[in-house]
Amino acid sequence: MKLRTLPRTLTGLAVIGLAGCGGVQSSLDPAGVEAREISTLFWTVTIVGLATTFLVTACLLLALYGPHRIRSRLAGHATILALGIALPVLILSGLLIYGLVLMQAGQARSGRAESEITITGKQWWWRVAYHLPDGSTAVSANELRLPVGEAVALHLESEDVIHSFWAPRLGGKLDMIPGRTNTLTVEASEAGLSRAQCAEYCGGAHALMAMDVVTMAKSDYEAWLVREAGPAQAPATELEQRGSEVFFAYGCGSCHTIRGTEATGVAGPDLTHVGSRHSLGAATLANTPEAFAAWLVSNQHVKPQNLMPEYEVLSDEELRAVAAYLDGLE
Amino acid sequence: MAASAPFGRPMTGRRSTRRRYMLRGAAGMLVLAMVAGSVFALSGAYNVAASVKHFYITDRLIKLVLWRSIDLHSHELAKAPATDASAIRLGARHYLTGCMPCHGAPGRPQSPVITGMYPAPPNFGEVALDWQDEELAWIVFNGLKFTGMPHWPGADRIDEVWPVVSFLQQLPSMSPARFDTYARTGSEGEASKNPTLGLCAGCHGAGGSPPVSAAVPPLHGQSEAYLLRALEEYAGNRRQSGMMEPVAAALSASERQELASAFAAMPAPAIPMRAAPPETPTGLGETIAKSGLRERNVAACLSCHEGDRSPHFPKLRGLSKAYIATQLRLFGSGVRGDTPYGRIMQKVAQRLDAEEIETVAAYLERTLTATTRRAPP
Repeated sequence: MKLRTLPRTLTGLAVIGLAGCGGVQSSLDPAGVEAREISTLFWTVTIVGLATTFLVTACLLLALYGPHRIRSRLAGHATILALGIALPVLILSGLLIYGLVLMQAGQARSGRAESEITITGKQWWWRVAYHLPDGSTAVSANELRLPVGEAVALHLESEDVIHSFWAPRLGGKLDMIPGRTNTLTVEASEAGLSRAQCAEYCGGAHALMAMDVVTMAKSDYEAWLVREAGPAQAPATELEQRGSEVFFAYGCGSCHTIRGTEATGVAGPDLTHVGSRHSLGAATLANTPEAFAAWLVSNQHVKPQNLMPEYEVLSDEELRAVAAYLDGLE
Repeated sequence: MAASAPFGRPMTGRRSTRRRYMLRGAAGMLVLAMVAGSVFALSGAYNVAASVKHFYITDRLIKLVLWRSIDLHSHELAKAPATDASAIRLGARHYLTGCMPCHGAPGRPQSPVITGMYPAPPNFGEVALDWQDEELAWIVFNGLKFTGMPHWPGADRIDEVWPVVSFLQQLPSMSPARFDTYARTGSEGEASKNPTLGLCAGCHGAGGSPPVSAAVPPLHGQSEAYLLRALEEYAGNRRQSGMMEPVAAALSASERQELASAFAAMPAPAIPMRAAPPETPTGLGETIAKSGLRERNVAACLSCHEGDRSPHFPKLRGLSKAYIATQLRLFGSGVRGDTPYGRIMQKVAQRLDAEEIETVAAYLERTLTATTRRAPP
């Protein structure tokens, strides 16, 4: 690399690097309390590390090329004791105490969680069950909604292999281990849309197991929760009615639940309000009728080895009807 | 002149001379053999006529290779399952249409066209069969090269071959009168209405009579769309069965439609087909059929196969345990995975283990009731 192209190269690298700072899944752009603490810790440790590197490099250069007087001072006992023992002990102790304080804060937060959500990892989707104050449960899938400013306890479970829940803008990762419930307490600090990802390899489609996280004001959240717990919307148009007939004729209700109908299956995601989600297939596809149709007919291409059979047997007319019906379940 | 390359030192002297001449001789013989072979093949001097028999020594050599090959390769097959009277009857039904045209039967001679083949299919009415069960099964399943004996049309369906073998082992001692009892179908009523229907009824039963064996599904009151699709899949080699593929391929499209409608319209028989299989103590079969297996993501069988569902999903109640279990195994192993509907069931069957397949099949057979069939229009 010639020296005169260096500025251009460095600028290019800087642009690419800075692009990682923002985005819907960036832990450097916190939208939750724990994420902010982690982000602060990250920057603190990074800056301290950079400063230490700078100091060490400066000492090295001085030791190699510096004037004789400075070099002999560097070689002295006092320097080694101060810069080699006292300074590291101070810095590392400081960081340790800071880290411990953060962990304690996390523990305190988990004690004052005001609501609970159980998230179950399955290959390769998420079952999200909201526990309402009256004791009932509203089951949904592949999208997590949280109120702003309130600590929520996420009970993380798994029904097959080890998954890991990670919403970078809200907090850190926590594994979902079969046979065990781990609890992660998160508190969102601003409203908006972010994205969570499975963070433990769980099989072929692990990379396609993500989740939309929507944080909203508390009053909006409560209104939404009431709607989510309620039964599905009845089909509004004739096409949707036909789609509902096709849905039940092909036995879809034996694996999927639509509250308020005779569909009560649990092998696949709950579809009661699937039309109102931000994405389909665990954040793999956009939420459009075309995506529904593509999933029904060729889901093994979208997410290989997933549990759902491909319904290539649906005619074009049936496919359009079912896609319209599912899209209308808002 | 000394050749040196292959041996590292010049070939001079008596020993190296002898080696050189031997090499040249061997090369020459090889060339001569190739030339002779080409002359033999291209000249056409060898007479391939079926009317000209082999030399005695050639015939013995061919038979030796045949017996040794069958003996060795039949060891690959599993042991023959236990046989019973219904298996023999099923084998007899297949023999009538699938084997008798070439192999004859007690009291029924072979056509002169058949006896003109070389090698000719042995007439099982006269010749004693001296094979073990596994060897017979191997021959029936794989066929024999350079004879007219075809391989079994149903790929991977060795389970269908055993009933045929059971019947074949009975043939040497069978009198013509006894063979005639096997040849008669029990459904004379249907046969007089429609001979093709009578042929189907010979295995599948019709009206008040049950199928000839537990391995054969009753078709009474089955969904018409499903029956038609099954026949089309058999005819198109998308569904494997050595017994059904030749039958379906011989039917025209309108005949298939007629047969599907006729069987769909039949009411369920008034009598149970056979003694109900025993109830499992755990009730696992009923659980799987009605609620599925939640932890293994298996949906309930009856949530698709009963009620107001697509007519392409066959009704299951009343099918025999043996038939349902066989089909689930075929789905799970991918043998029935060549069709779009088969691929849907393949995913379900793969999640069941052998014991679960047996118990759910037993439950579904046990719950045959006349009222669970679709009422005829």
